[in-house]
Amino acid sequence: MHPQAADILDRLALTPRRGKAAPRLAFGLKSLDTRLEGGLIQGALHEIRAPTARDIGAATGVTLGLLATAVAQSGRDRVMWISDPAAGVDAGVLYPDGIAQYGLDPSCITLVTPVDLQTALWAADEAARCPDLVAVVLHVRGNPRQLDRVATRRLMLRAQTSGCTVLVLRQSGVEEASAAHTRWRVEARPSPPDPGFPQGLGLPQMALTLERSRTGQTGGWPVIWNPKHKAFAHGSKHIYTDPQVSVDRPAVSGHRPDRAAPLGHVVDLRRASTRRAPDDCGADGQECPTDRGA
Amino acid sequence: MIVVQTVKNAQRIVAHEPGAVNGQVSLEQKLGDARALVPDLDVYPAAPHEDAALLEQIGRWCDRYTPLVGLSGTDGLMMDISGCAHLFGGEAEMIEMLRARLRGQGFNLRLGVADTIGAAWGLARFGTQPAALSGGDLAPLLALPLEALRIDEKTVLALRRLGLRRIGCLTPLPRAPLTTRFGAGLLQRLDQALGRAAESLMPLTPPVDITAEKAFFDPITHADDITRSITLLAQTLVPLLEARDQGARALELRLFRVDGHRQHLIVEAAHPLRDPARIAALFRERIAGLAVDIDAGFGFDLVKLAVLRSETFAGTQGDLVSGSQNTDRFEALIDRLGARLGAERVRGFVGADTHIPERSFGTLPVIRMRGAAAAGSTAGALRVPPLTRPLWLMSRPEAIDVLAQVPDGAPMRFRWRKVGYVAARSEGPERIACEWWRDGRAAPTRDYFQVEARDGYRFWMFRHGLYDRERTAPRWYMQGVFA
Repeated sequence: MHPQAADILDRLALTPRRGKAAPRLAFGLKSLDTRLEGGLIQGALHEIRAPTARDIGAATGVTLGLLATAVAQSGRDRVMWISDPAAGVDAGVLYPDGIAQYGLDPSCITLVTPVDLQTALWAADEAARCPDLVAVVLHVRGNPRQLDRVATRRLMLRAQTSGCTVLVLRQSGVEEASAAHTRWRVEARPSPPDPGFPQGLGLPQMALTLERSRTGQTGGWPVIWNPKHKAFAHGSKHIYTDPQVSVDRPAVSGHRPDRAAPLGHVVDLRRASTRRAPDDCGADGQECPTDRGA
Repeated sequence: MIVVQTVKNAQRIVAHEPGAVNGQVSLEQKLGDARALVPDLDVYPAAPHEDAALLEQIGRWCDRYTPLVGLSGTDGLMMDISGCAHLFGGEAEMIEMLRARLRGQGFNLRLGVADTIGAAWGLARFGTQPAALSGGDLAPLLALPLEALRIDEKTVLALRRLGLRRIGCLTPLPRAPLTTRFGAGLLQRLDQALGRAAESLMPLTPPVDITAEKAFFDPITHADDITRSITLLAQTLVPLLEARDQGARALELRLFRVDGHRQHLIVEAAHPLRDPARIAALFRERIAGLAVDIDAGFGFDLVKLAVLRSETFAGTQGDLVSGSQNTDRFEALIDRLGARLGAERVRGFVGADTHIPERSFGTLPVIRMRGAAAAGSTAGALRVPPLTRPLWLMSRPEAIDVLAQVPDGAPMRFRWRKVGYVAARSEGPERIACEWWRDGRAAPTRDYFQVEARDGYRFWMFRHGLYDRERTAPRWYMQGVFA
């Protein structure tokens, strides 16, 4: 199929119909929800991307926050968590105690661990058709070839029919064109200090970047998950005041005297021109200027 | 062709082809003697294990004639054909069919049909073929030699010396002297053969209560035909299940190929099932998920569907009006995934009663989850839960290099997966003592720290052992990643 034809078909088939109000999953943050016209569309495919393997905690935090919100909002409480076996190698296993503390009842989660990605995709496809599920999480690693435009389009169409939200949790993957309605990049950020216990850890803070959306909106927000209220809050750009030391080469590497200097980042200039880093955006919920495209 | 085995310190013939080499060799003959008579003998060593496996396979194949097939010794099969023979046109026709089909597969066999296990055993081994005991006529049985009674050689010899050679000689004799002379075993065997004492059969496959089968005149090969026949069979099962007020939790499909090969598939359901369409759909997924496709060969001529496990069926299935439909769709999804991927790949969390993190929870297949303890710490139930546990847990803690204050300070710098981090803030230690009843008294204590690196990553790591008291240089391990 001609690439442009695929684009047009996508737009026709996957853009929500006007007039028919799709239920929204609000973050509860004014600036973010306004940008999304009310929140994430339920019954659609969304991608949450952790750029590196160690960001999986932050990305999972956002995912679980969304799941907890969706469970509270919809009254349904079934979540299916489908993992590509390759993803578990780096991440480990979901820890139900941690999930319970975070604000989601772990008994909601049904774990599906297929033998390979092909069957994982089949399972996600089956699960996305089930209207009893509030959400399906497909945890993949990198940018596997099987999870291409066709596969994501299928997932999107299934989600639209059933009303079940499908979240692709992509670990250490790069940005990739897909049929997802929105794509988010999540990175860990230092937590805001707890005033009662400043030397301890605060509430988890994440940098949430809307990299791409079907409506053309992008933006970046630091967000905090508050397990007490089970809601997101605007984050603050917390910066440590003491002088930066060379983080890249701490002294513990005694047995490795000569490490190569870190390379610069490879930047796709075409993308970089249309995308905005989250740090460019103001803190405390100030909006970034809207830019189209991506 | 002959088969030899070492018996009484000599290689002896234990089996040979019928009429082998013009009857010059016989059973229990020494191999040397046989070789002297026939120099170019085809000799094979005996393989009892393979023989037993083959016999069992044949027994399972015979499942097509009756559900009750048992092994009889190491060289025979016992089938309970009561109520089954008429399906094949009567006992005589059934025997002929069985003989023809097994001959066709290359087996030599001897058959005996009788009212009791003992009589059938004797007829098959010592009767003139085909040996059938019809309508209470005991004459063929009484004419058999004494060995046909399944009694040991010594007793046979002793009886022979008394001039008793046939079973018929024993029946008119007074019982008491026989018992005092030869023990109770002899008369028990005699009674079992004559139907005066009960004897039971141990079937190879446990008999199932509810089963349906369909035989095809023309063998079927297409997957569609198989699915259609499953639906048909499931429809036959439904009234049986309904009559018992049960729903199926596990079902077995047995496919009998024309050439004697037999394949079976098992599906399990999370909840009792009674809907034929759903049963068929489960098998469709099971077949689709097979690593190796079903080899239809020349086709299947018999399909059996059996309910292996059933449970009391509550309510109606797939009701559009009541609210039960919601759970029903979810259960159907679980069953479908379980059928294709294997039930053990669809799991839910369960809790365990321990503080060691990697042991404090487990997962169980959803199908077997009912009644298991729910996961989730008590902290999760608090109004303001502290975030003390990570979202991801390394199932095997990973060793890391840590710079920390001695003896019990928090980490300051650490290196994990070849990346260095500087700790900005931390909380801890949270001390989790070892489980001496599992790991032994020498197992070290763990001091857990929550550490936030300067670039925002939050980790859960522990020092394995206390300084001085347990270890001289305790190691550090990374165990989890927080949000």
